[in-house]
Amino acid sequence: MHSILAMCIFVPYKIVWIMNVDNVKSQMRKGMLEYCILLLLHREASYASDIIQKLKEAKLIVVEGTLYPLLTRLKNDGLLSYEWVESTQGPPRKYYRLTDEGMEFLENLETAWDELSATVSHLRMS
Amino acid sequence: MKKTLTINLGGTVYNIDEDAYLLLDNYLNNLRYHFRKNPEGEEIVRDMEIRIAELFNECLSGGGQVVTMENVEAVISRMGKPEDLNDGEEEAAAEASDPERKKDVKRRLFRNPDDRVLGGVASGIAAYFGWDVLALRLLFVVLGIFFHWLLLAYLIAWIVIPLARTATEKLQMRGEPVNMENIGRTVTGGFDGKDSAEAPKMVWHKIGDVIVKIIGFILKLCLILLAICCFPILFVALIVAFALLLSAVGILVSVPSLFYEFSPVIDWNMVGAFPVTSGVMAVCCLLAVGIPIAGLVQVLMQVFGNWKPMSTVAKLILILVWLVAIIVGVIVFFDSPFMGSVML
Repeated sequence: MHSILAMCIFVPYKIVWIMNVDNVKSQMRKGMLEYCILLLLHREASYASDIIQKLKEAKLIVVEGTLYPLLTRLKNDGLLSYEWVESTQGPPRKYYRLTDEGMEFLENLETAWDELSATVSHLRMS
Repeated sequence: MKKTLTINLGGTVYNIDEDAYLLLDNYLNNLRYHFRKNPEGEEIVRDMEIRIAELFNECLSGGGQVVTMENVEAVISRMGKPEDLNDGEEEAAAEASDPERKKDVKRRLFRNPDDRVLGGVASGIAAYFGWDVLALRLLFVVLGIFFHWLLLAYLIAWIVIPLARTATEKLQMRGEPVNMENIGRTVTGGFDGKDSAEAPKMVWHKIGDVIVKIIGFILKLCLILLAICCFPILFVALIVAFALLLSAVGILVSVPSLFYEFSPVIDWNMVGAFPVTSGVMAVCCLLAVGIPIAGLVQVLMQVFGNWKPMSTVAKLILILVWLVAIIVGVIVFFDSPFMGSVML
């Protein structure tokens, strides 16, 4: 009368990791990207296409679509906020700006960056 | 000459070639699919749409009026394929979902319009099972000489199996994942080095298709007539089913009195004394009667009301629940004090 129904769920999970120069480079860029976006927005509020322009000039991003999930995540983390601004050419644009929390975050990153770059140059020298 | 469509992208209206539209639509759908686990996915895709609109503006500022395939391809390579857009945190999740995505690939049986001798049945079947088309055709011809019913089977297959018309259907026919790259290849005609638009459509293909359509239409008409003739019977069946449903509810409501009917000697104070047992039996009774009726209604609506067929999992779960209900009901009944009173 008493029976036990046992269920087993197998989740296939596999990670393939290939190490090469391009991969390491892109990892480095990815790590820097957030910092650079915050830096850009620290100077002035801007909308996505401006940011893309500057990041492309700096060769920090290859495909433009990368920026959008990142902006949304930074916004959700409370580091950025946006407002709609009317544009003379076309539909209104989302202008992103740094929040107070974002400023604080940026300062933290700045210190971290200084430390990192000091460490790296120290290692290179020696 | 190409057909163009009018689309509203990020609040601006564009004229876009049909093939370019297909590619763009698929790209956006793939983006949505890619960001489906991201709670802000819709917002991301909307922002990207606005950016794409801007890029189109740049393309069209040179004097063009219509967004072409080249424009869309250029824009997509600028924005990046969905798999290139992994934001650091999502990488692990994306990797985990990758095998799942490969499993999603489902082969479907279609007739192949790009490679056909008669109806494209053989090449469709070959694509479905991954066989060699030529071998299958030869086998079919040789067998057809000895077994004439094969010809009839071929005709029926021609009628029943749909032609793969869209790029998505062609990919499903081959069992390839329906994603942006593949759609792009199919739409631009880079698939197997064949272009369906350029392939001359043979006269007998057209004639064959028309004949098959006529036969199919006649058969459909016969089916509809049959259905109309059978309608009174089905109507009665439906009423019976409804009556059964009502009586099932009645049974649930009046379990005690039903048992009283069966066995007047039962001490009905017991129902009050064993409310849990009575309740369990009532629920089991309802499930055991209700699930077959629900299944019947579902099948009827599937045939006549264009309902979607139930998924296999749902079917299995229902059957399981039904069996469990019957088993539990019987066990509880034989275990309960009611059994004793019935025996009396």
